[in-house]
Formats: sequence, C-alpha cells, structure tokens
Amino acid sequence: MAPDNTNTIQFPYRRSLGPVFGAFMNGLTQRRITGVRCGERVLVPPLEWNPESGEELDHELVEVGPVGTVTSWTWVTEPTVQHPLDRPFAFALIRLDGADTTLLHAVDAGSPDALRAGTRVAPRWRAQRSGRIDDIECFVPGEEPEIPEDDAGAPAEPVTMMDFGASITYRETVSPNALRAIDASRSQHLIGFRCPVCGRTYTGGRGFCPVDAVELGPDHEVELPQTGTVTNFTIVTPVQYPGQTETEPFVRAMVLLDTRHDATAGPGGGDRSSDVILTYQPLLDLRAEDVRVGMRVSARWQSPEGPAPPSGGMGGTIGYLAGWAPSGERDVDDPDLVNRIF
Amino acid sequence: MSTTDHTGPPDIAIVGWAQSPMLRQTELSEGQLLVRVITDALESIGLTRADVDFNCAGSCDYISGQPFSFVQNIDAIGAWPPKRDSHVEMDGAWALYEAWLRLRLGDLEVAVVTGSGRSSTANPHLIYPMEMDPFFLAPLGTDAASLAALQARALIDSGGVTERQMAEVAARSRRDAEANPHAQVSGSADPDELLAEDYVRSPLRRHDLPPITDGACAVVLATGAKARELTARPAWIRGIAHRSELHYPGLRDLTQSPSTRAAAEAAGVDRGEVDVAEIHAAFSHEDPLLRRALGLAESTVVNPSGGPLAANPIMATGLVRIAEAAAQIANHAKHRTVAHATSGPCLQQNLVCVLEEGS
Repeated sequence: MAPDNTNTIQFPYRRSLGPVFGAFMNGLTQRRITGVRCGERVLVPPLEWNPESGEELDHELVEVGPVGTVTSWTWVTEPTVQHPLDRPFAFALIRLDGADTTLLHAVDAGSPDALRAGTRVAPRWRAQRSGRIDDIECFVPGEEPEIPEDDAGAPAEPVTMMDFGASITYRETVSPNALRAIDASRSQHLIGFRCPVCGRTYTGGRGFCPVDAVELGPDHEVELPQTGTVTNFTIVTPVQYPGQTETEPFVRAMVLLDTRHDATAGPGGGDRSSDVILTYQPLLDLRAEDVRVGMRVSARWQSPEGPAPPSGGMGGTIGYLAGWAPSGERDVDDPDLVNRIF
Repeated sequence: MSTTDHTGPPDIAIVGWAQSPMLRQTELSEGQLLVRVITDALESIGLTRADVDFNCAGSCDYISGQPFSFVQNIDAIGAWPPKRDSHVEMDGAWALYEAWLRLRLGDLEVAVVTGSGRSSTANPHLIYPMEMDPFFLAPLGTDAASLAALQARALIDSGGVTERQMAEVAARSRRDAEANPHAQVSGSADPDELLAEDYVRSPLRRHDLPPITDGACAVVLATGAKARELTARPAWIRGIAHRSELHYPGLRDLTQSPSTRAAAEAAGVDRGEVDVAEIHAAFSHEDPLLRRALGLAESTVVNPSGGPLAANPIMATGLVRIAEAAAQIANHAKHRTVAHATSGPCLQQNLVCVLEEGS
C-alpha cells in the first residue's frame, strides 16, 4: 500500500486588471511597454498609487524601452514548469530605457557568460498576445526586439481580465492511524480511535483528540458498528469546476453509528460525548430525493482489489468503505436527530 | 514600545517554548506537530491547555495544500471548552505580534503562539509564486531562490558582500548548528570547498540556500506577575515592531532593507548593547545586509543556533528566531537579545523583537 496520498490541485484564477494594469497589459498586446509617471520618475511596471504618498497616479501611461539594461541577473539551470522557458535561462532585473525602476523578466541568453550588469536586452514578442506579462516571451541580448513573422496583432477588443492558472502536486504522508483504518477496511472492518480522557471516538485515522489534545494510537483502537441513522444530509448539485467528476445531484449524509445499546444513552438522550458520527457520507441504492432524516442505513464495502482509495480529510469515506445504503428498518423518529452532525 | 508604567498596558514576557525536530520530511501531520510542541512548551513551565487565554497560529494553506488547513490545526490547542483564537497566514512571528498586542489589552494573562509548516508536501519552487503578485511575478514562475539570487547579485555588485563571505556565513552556520539539537544541516565545512560547487541560481550555491524543512514551534507569552510566577528568567519583550515595503523587487533598492531598519528603530534595538541576534537570513547574503539594517555591532553574536541555513521550517522560521533569542536570556545568562523575522520576496516585510532580562 502506498504510504502517500498524491493530490494535484489546480488554481484557476480570473482577475480584473483595472485601469492602470489594464492599460499596461493592452500596451503589451500592441507590442508597447509602458510605465506610469510618479513625480519625476517613471515606474515600470506601473502602480495605481504613489508608493510614497498614497496619492492616485495619472492613468495615462508613457511608453518606455523596449530596449533596456540588465541591472541584476541569475541563471536558472533547471527551469520549473512555471518558468517562461524550458531551457536554461536568466531571470533579470531590466531597466528599460526611459524607466527609473526595473522590470523582472526572463532573458534567453544561451549561457550565463553572455550576461553581466550592463548587458543590453530587447523583448522577444509572442505572436499571439492576450494581455499578460508573458506576452513578452523573454528578453534577448542586443538592441533589436524580435517580432515573429506570424504576428497576430492585438486582440480586437481591449483586454480587461487576466487568467492565471497553476497546478501543484502535493504528496501527503498518510498517518499511521489512517493506514490502520484503511487496512481494517480491506476486510470490511470499521475502526475508530477512542480518547482515553473524554471517551470520544474518532474515525478516519485522526492522530489526536481535539478536545483533550491527547495523541491516539493502536492502544486506542475500537471496532465500530456498521449500522446507523441519517441525522442530516445535503443534496449536492455538481458545479463543473476543474476536477469535478460528478454530473448528477448526489447525497452527502451525516451517519450516527449505533454505538450505544443501553437505554440510558439511547437516541435522543444520555451523554452525547460518545456519539460517533461519520460526516459527508455517500448514500447508495437510493434516489437523492428519497433521503430522509432518521433513515436507517448500513455500511456497503467496495472490493479490496485494486488501489487503496484516498482517505478522507474532512468527511468522506474511509478506505474501502463505499458508503451507506438503506437497511429497510423503520425510521428513527426523533426531532433532535437533525442537530447531531459532528 | 513597552512600558513600566503600571497603570498602562502590562509588560509581556516569553516564558516557554518548544520546537519539533526539524526534518526534510516528517511522518506527522501538521496538527500532530502542533499537539506536541504546544504540550512541550506548556509543560516546560507547569501549565496545561486550560491555562491558555488566547492562541494565535501562523501557517499557510498553499504549503499545506489544503484550504482552511488552519482550522484543523486549531484542534492542536485543545478546542474544548472554546478558546479565544486567531490565525495569520504569516510566519508565526507575526502571530506572536498579534498575541503580544492582545495581551497588551490587560484582561488576559497567558497566550500560546505557533508557527507550523510542512514544505515537503510539494515543490517549494512551484508553491512560492502563488504567494507573489499575480500580474507581474506569478505568471513568470518567480521562485524564492531566483528572487534571492537577484538580490544577492545586486548586493555583490554594490560591494555589500562577496561570494567568499557568503560561503563563510554558511560554514559558520553549519558549525554553530552542531550544538543545536533541532538543526537539520550542521557540520564542518571549508569555504574553499563550498566555493568549488556549482551554482544553483548564480551567484547562489547550494550552501547559500536554506534546506527544505518540516517543523513547528510554539511560544508561550505571559503578562507581568504571571510571567514572574512561571519562570525565574522571563525574556521581557521591550520592543516589537514590523514594517513593510513595496512588494515588487524592481521598485526597490535591493542593496538595502529599509523596512528592517525602520522596524529596528521602532523596536529600540539601539537603546542598548545586543548580546545575541537571531536573524531570519534564509539566504547567506541576507546575513550582512540584515546586520547593517539592524545596526548590530561587531560584538553581537549572530545566529548561534545556526539560523535558517540550518533549519528552515517555513511559517515557523521567524518564530524559532524569537524562541532562540528568548532561550539565550533564560538559559545562557544573556542580558539583551534581538530576534528578526522576514516575509515576502527579497526581504519585503520585516519584524524585529527586542528581549531583555529583568524582574
């Protein structure tokens, strides 16, 4: 079993540019680099406000460069997927002619030997430009901007928004308790960890009791019943964000396990600190519109063949637990059930 | 900043602290790291979680790879009965600033501050740009090492440091770290051999960069009488301030750190001799730059713990500096120490804390 959970998270952002950044980005689509006047100085990239006084600056930008001088640089031997070039390149601070500040950008210099403070560089423009800082693919040594032969020109409409996307893969160690819970699920056992101080029982491999801040381990493992009662639910209508695999409305229910068999602590009474509630559980063999508070359910397991499913962080199933299906018993009639969700 | 006027805000001291082991990759969750350091920090002065009036945590969702990851971290404090709690998406040093401010109101006595991060979960080069300006920096994938290298070159070209001096900073860090049980990188190193290595981001070599570290730190603050009751040698916070400058590195003079200078002035670093300074110089060239900005004398011992070049638990690195500076007063009979923390590209934002012995 893999000891790691690997998750790739995408960060798709769409941001409005506003009048000043917007003017700068629209300038780039026209192969013009611009800055903002701030007293005697020209700031590139432009700011909306005077950094010294906080006063709003004139939104009329002035053209600078496009040729400039390297003031500082570093050599990237192994570019990341986020870098503008896929071969070794320089990041440089470039003082464009007419600017009083420096622009950070990539320089495709071939070798670090081609660079020093004072090296003159010019932009290499992309053919297709959409109003982003990387409409300049990079800078190149010399005085001549590079313009592709298939230059597509500026978009017909001015650019007002900017899309930004990143994708980061996280590798999370699966905790020993979670591994035990997943292992148990392989043979259709549902286990929890019971706090030796307060007696609360936690599922999903949590490493400590959040009430008493006591660490939990093998000594605290308890077997849990596989029947319970729906205390609350939501029907999720899936929105098609990146990574969403559901297409139809589905149920996520809170399931109160049948851990208490004595009369004094029956449903609706007694000390609730021993409640064991699984959160955001899938309900199976049921139309979404038929789910009810009080419905009796029992665990359904998926085949232990194949890869271990990811263990849930906040809610979700544990290991090979597939979800819960109606058991056919009579509903529990307790108006207070709906409040027992954690 | 602080006062001895007993009708005013209370004096506040650091009375306890704990660090986790600093590792390239821990098997513990961030919550488990925090459970242990909070327990250790409180037990060191005979307190339990029931004694804590306020807690403030510093951590970062982008590093954890989980939205609202700090909500799970709250569990580590012992969430019941409900506690006054806050969080900053900043290094724990800024969480300490908030806790200090909260205790200054005078109605509470004990606060716990944490910083925690597990940088091993993903490629730090890819995470860092997510925290940069999204229009001009993030789309270029501007990673922390590249930004630091641009500052290092500017500093070298201005005569502010040499590559040899940077290698000597790294060698000193590793040597000092040998006495630090929490250090991740330690040992003897010959600057000549270090200088023979290839650049990672010229002019930075591997030794000029911090390690990738998983770790956490907890610090306990207490007010006046309570602090004196809890420990024989409280480390009194005599000044604490933080300042920020422009985010975009191209708009700044990278050979200076004016926000460090301003924070040091506001915190009163120059009001007395500084025995020891623990500074958040995660890249070797930042050491001389920060010494100058803080106004440290030659006699001040800098980063006897080995500093961030020995262990860099991002989101806790700054708080560890404060804990180490407090330990110098509590355990090593020092009189006056300074801690520094930084955040943002090329030392954009800086926090300075002055600690003193006293009754």
